[in-house]
Amino acid sequence: MHIRSKGVLTSIAVAAAALWLTTIPTAGQAPDGAQFPAYKAPRTADGKPDISGIWEAMTSANWDILAHSSQPGPHPTLMGAWGAGRGGQSIVEGNEIPYQPWAVAKKAENLKNRMVVKVAADPSRYDTGDRELQCYRPGIPRANYMPYPFQIFQTPEEILMVYEYKGALRTIRMNSDDEAPGDTWMGWSNGKWDGESLVVNVSGFNGNTWLDRAGNFHSDALRVVERWTPISPYHMRYEATLEDPKVYTRPWKMSFPLYRHVETNAQLVEFNCVPFVEEMMYEPLGLYRPQPRKAK
Amino acid sequence: MRTRDLVQYSAVTLGMIGALAAAPATAAGQTREQIAEAARKASPRSAEDAMKFFEEEVAKKTAAAIARVYDPNKPPATPAMKTSWGDPDLRGFWLSLSYTPLERPEKFADKALLTPQEAIEFFKEQVAADAAVDPATVHYDWKEFGMDTWQSPVRPNLRSALIIDPANGKMPPLSPEGQKRRAAAQAAAKIADPQTGVSLLQNYYTRCITGNQGPPRLPFNHDSESQIEQVPGYVILMTQSNNDVRIIPLDGRPHLPSQVRTWLGDSRGRWEGNTLVVETTNFHPDRIWRGATGNMKLIERFTRVDRETLSYRITVEDPATWTQPWTAEVPWPRIEPPLFEFACHEQNYGVINVVTGAQIRATEGKPPARDGDN
Repeated sequence: MHIRSKGVLTSIAVAAAALWLTTIPTAGQAPDGAQFPAYKAPRTADGKPDISGIWEAMTSANWDILAHSSQPGPHPTLMGAWGAGRGGQSIVEGNEIPYQPWAVAKKAENLKNRMVVKVAADPSRYDTGDRELQCYRPGIPRANYMPYPFQIFQTPEEILMVYEYKGALRTIRMNSDDEAPGDTWMGWSNGKWDGESLVVNVSGFNGNTWLDRAGNFHSDALRVVERWTPISPYHMRYEATLEDPKVYTRPWKMSFPLYRHVETNAQLVEFNCVPFVEEMMYEPLGLYRPQPRKAK
Repeated sequence: MRTRDLVQYSAVTLGMIGALAAAPATAAGQTREQIAEAARKASPRSAEDAMKFFEEEVAKKTAAAIARVYDPNKPPATPAMKTSWGDPDLRGFWLSLSYTPLERPEKFADKALLTPQEAIEFFKEQVAADAAVDPATVHYDWKEFGMDTWQSPVRPNLRSALIIDPANGKMPPLSPEGQKRRAAAQAAAKIADPQTGVSLLQNYYTRCITGNQGPPRLPFNHDSESQIEQVPGYVILMTQSNNDVRIIPLDGRPHLPSQVRTWLGDSRGRWEGNTLVVETTNFHPDRIWRGATGNMKLIERFTRVDRETLSYRITVEDPATWTQPWTAEVPWPRIEPPLFEFACHEQNYGVINVVTGAQIRATEGKPPARDGDN
């Protein structure tokens, strides 16, 4: 008995070590939750996997979707550790974005200018630093790995995704082949079920969004194919393939797990950032506070 | 699609924009009316010419509308429409517009309910005024885009005012605290040569903080489309204006603690028979809605009257502002989908121009344009 339990303990230890080893992603491997055993999600009334609920990514990808060290914030003298960024691993398969040569330079320029705020009453205002700084809509896929939760509401005809950041809204039209009627920040999403996965084709982007604070970017030719696959009652695998012939040399893939919020009475708490950015955006133009009268 | 006639109208629009461009440059010292008069003179088309262009559409739309006068006392159609999981079905796209004024006009002082004939006459008067074209204000004349109220499924209403309580159809008197705040606001507005800045604009719609100054969803102007979606346990309200989204849990959970404040408020819903009752509190203290404070409590009641109509009834309670709660009802006609992305703040050229203009006017010793002019 004594020996037997020792054996059991040893087996547990070996199993735990094996599990521990498999949960550490190897270099270049996206931590997409692939180690989970096969899982079949509960069904909605129409028999589809039920992915409704409040979800959030747990990555530092909003700072940089590629592998990155921790970093001081842009204004360490003001913001200290508050403004600093976590280090983290890549959510991009192979830890590499296949930029065209010109785009490599553009990405570096974006990083340098990421804090530039340009406010104009014409489209030149989009030739600026990271749009998140100015409380603009984040686009897809970025909305899914920002450090804010989002809520999914599921019906047979449409799936709504409401993002806490800015209350940005995205409607996924199920079984629709409609083309985007115009260019938008959040894109135009058509979805269908493929077994256990929700597959969403997203197009119709205006090209104004970035993929992270590090200046990784795309153009208005971006097309995203997303796969949302429940892998446990509390986890979902998110995969996205990005294709943009104006910027990349080939399609590339990102993946990361999403975690379900399980707190009692969990809800999104409004994050309306417009009032938080007005002084930054309008004061340099002399438009935020009442101005002293100019001498005649 | 309310934009279907866009192309048809574009010729008229271009003509009018050309007229505006040709108008004499704004000379210092001209009043607004003088500037408008100059624009009218310079226009290649008179208001009457332009009106002729819309005559046929006005006649057609009016005929369709007056055939279906809204009777608020007619009981909802039975059986009530239900979702597959048994909740009353409010889903769809709805328009919060009306020609019925919020407060009862003097001419109907003793009449809460009009006769169908009076309601139709009142409706026609307002359509005529709305459909008129003034070349001087054409920049914000929505009819060229199919967005005037008469171009929508809005119809006459037997009510003479949207307010149904107090019974006189008027806003209740201000409480002493409400009077004090209003007096202070009026005094501030009278200060000579007011300078301005975005931080002083109380029009949160201009600042893209909330759409149409809401909630609640009283008639505003254009961009009054809403979508209601339902899933078991939730109702989701989405507005075209600013794409505001309100997530309303139906599970009886308590409100957020009172220190959590939000621009759209914290909403909880429940069913009373076939009516969705939504209670909203926790408004942001800086939010100013018709003078109310952030402690305002809003009760909204949504009832599907028939396939094409939703009754939207609000009760507003704010003892710090009004001496009693007040209630208004707006019938929402059903409209065609969808809503589109409304990235307001991302392209808010308007607020730059509004504030720049007001600052220039201040240096010329003129009062600012009314906040919210559009």
